[in-house]
Amino acid sequence: MSQPPAQVIGMGTVLDHVRTPQEVALPHVVEFRNVTKTYNAGKADEFTAIRDVTFVVEDVVGKGEFICVLGPSGCGKSTILRSIAGLEPQHPATSGEVLVLGQPVVGPGSDRGMVFQDYTSFDHLTVLENVTFGLECLHMPRKQRDELGREWIHKMGLNVGTDAHKYPHELSGGMRQRVAIARTLILKPRIILMDEPFGALDPLTRLNMQDLLVKLWKEVQATVFFITHSIEEAVFLGDRVYLMSNSPGTILEELKIEPATCSANEMQRQPKFLEAVYYIRDKITKLESNK
Amino acid sequence: MNSSLLNRLLRNWLTLRRPVSRLQAIGLGVACILLCLTGWWLITQGAAESRLVGPLTLPSPAETFSRFSELWNDFALTRNVLVTLRRVSIGFALALMVGIPIGVTAGCFPRVHAFLSPLIMIGRNVPLAAVLPLMIFIFGAGEKNKVMFIFVASVAFVTSDAARAIMDVSARYIDTAYTLGASRWQTISKVLVPLAAPTIFSACRQMFGLAFGYIMLAESIKIADEVGGLGYQIQIFQRRGFREHIYLIILVIPLVALVIDQLLAWIQRQLFPHLYGGDGMLRSLVRVTLIPWESLKSLVFYRTPASLPSVSTEERPK
Repeated sequence: MSQPPAQVIGMGTVLDHVRTPQEVALPHVVEFRNVTKTYNAGKADEFTAIRDVTFVVEDVVGKGEFICVLGPSGCGKSTILRSIAGLEPQHPATSGEVLVLGQPVVGPGSDRGMVFQDYTSFDHLTVLENVTFGLECLHMPRKQRDELGREWIHKMGLNVGTDAHKYPHELSGGMRQRVAIARTLILKPRIILMDEPFGALDPLTRLNMQDLLVKLWKEVQATVFFITHSIEEAVFLGDRVYLMSNSPGTILEELKIEPATCSANEMQRQPKFLEAVYYIRDKITKLESNK
Repeated sequence: MNSSLLNRLLRNWLTLRRPVSRLQAIGLGVACILLCLTGWWLITQGAAESRLVGPLTLPSPAETFSRFSELWNDFALTRNVLVTLRRVSIGFALALMVGIPIGVTAGCFPRVHAFLSPLIMIGRNVPLAAVLPLMIFIFGAGEKNKVMFIFVASVAFVTSDAARAIMDVSARYIDTAYTLGASRWQTISKVLVPLAAPTIFSACRQMFGLAFGYIMLAESIKIADEVGGLGYQIQIFQRRGFREHIYLIILVIPLVALVIDQLLAWIQRQLFPHLYGGDGMLRSLVRVTLIPWESLKSLVFYRTPASLPSVSTEERPK
């Protein structure tokens, strides 16, 4: 079975194979070594979410990579993300190894911040209290953390004066996700895991959030894992795109993507952008129809 | 013209779940009370022999309310109400102090829940009328058996409601707290309990209403020289045939319950502004009282981690 050579498609380059940890010289931020996750093993409802997943994300000097994971629905994208986060029941893996910075993942921690699709703002806390929640858990003195919190509220494009003391239910969906992103980034995580964070937003808000995310990501220099159903979103945001197979999921292709040079709205009109999008869309459509 | 007015009225009154203005809601409530009073007055009017319902069954409103001063002065209504309230409050407070921590623990740890579930099952289904004599055997005559009766009657419900409320908090909040670096204890104390608190509070508010009913049962048995309370008063009136007084007490109890319930509703609104709006006075109070404790913890535990910028670095908005 011969692998096709690397091919350039618009903004993207499809690598001839998914890189394995042995091939990458730079230190590894995240590596999966033959990871399989099977639920209810040995019972009638046995279900394998991901099978034999191997990939590596390298620690590019001075900047983290932005990794997008695409695939047909139910292919185990979230399983990969939650395994990195160390959240049950996806963690621990049935077999194989999940390593973060060379260390096996033993459980969740603030070095791997996570933003969920559902609005997970703590309803009983104000925006400021939500944003500073992680700092409070570190026992950072109130004055210090409130000051940092206000800075981040400002950075997220929220109004410090009027929004800081609102409760989540008073915010729009976009604003809630801003809060969720702020409370993750304020902790300066090494890895940011995002599980379809903009999935519930309207298209325009979504584009704005993408631009904001790119801006902030450059500042915090973290490695981002981003799950999405939107191919445009993946090609715009990603340095790298992992394309997954049908369930039980495994990584089919790894694409390297040129960095975006302008805003999401403009980028999505360029032919080379669209070429990459159409390539991936055809792949996924084929996968969906083969289920 | 007329038909359109009628149409509008019908639409207003018969639209499913159409909100009602506060004024109208109160007006409708008053109308209901007036209607009941009128009905009461109608079936009990006229000379004793010609009434629809005889005075031995149901005295007329005028006869009943004329006894109020007697009830107030000679039978020490306020003192009896307070005695009853005190018993319910102490018993219920005990049930909260025991039930909520156990319930929260059971809600957090399914194994604890599985272990306790037989006890909760028994506690919820125990026939209370049968427990009462036992309480007297165990705790003797006097105050203690009444307080403990309320405790026994409510503790299992409080426990299971608290456990249920914690279990109903969506798992995504736990995941979020963990990925923000919260420890297990912090996740319980800062996320699970506060998110479940409004549900627990509502459940306990309802339970208190029920406990207020149970106490009548306990008070109907008086052995020693303890002050009677409302339940005992009813027993006395029954023996003496004072129907008017009994009806008055039956009317007083919902009033007292209403006052308490409104007080609890106020506390609820002030504690959980994220659900009920307002300025959350009590919530602020709770947070302010926690500040010294929090500062102390900051002093003991906080080290500026290398990965976090101190405030005066490039993080400031330019």
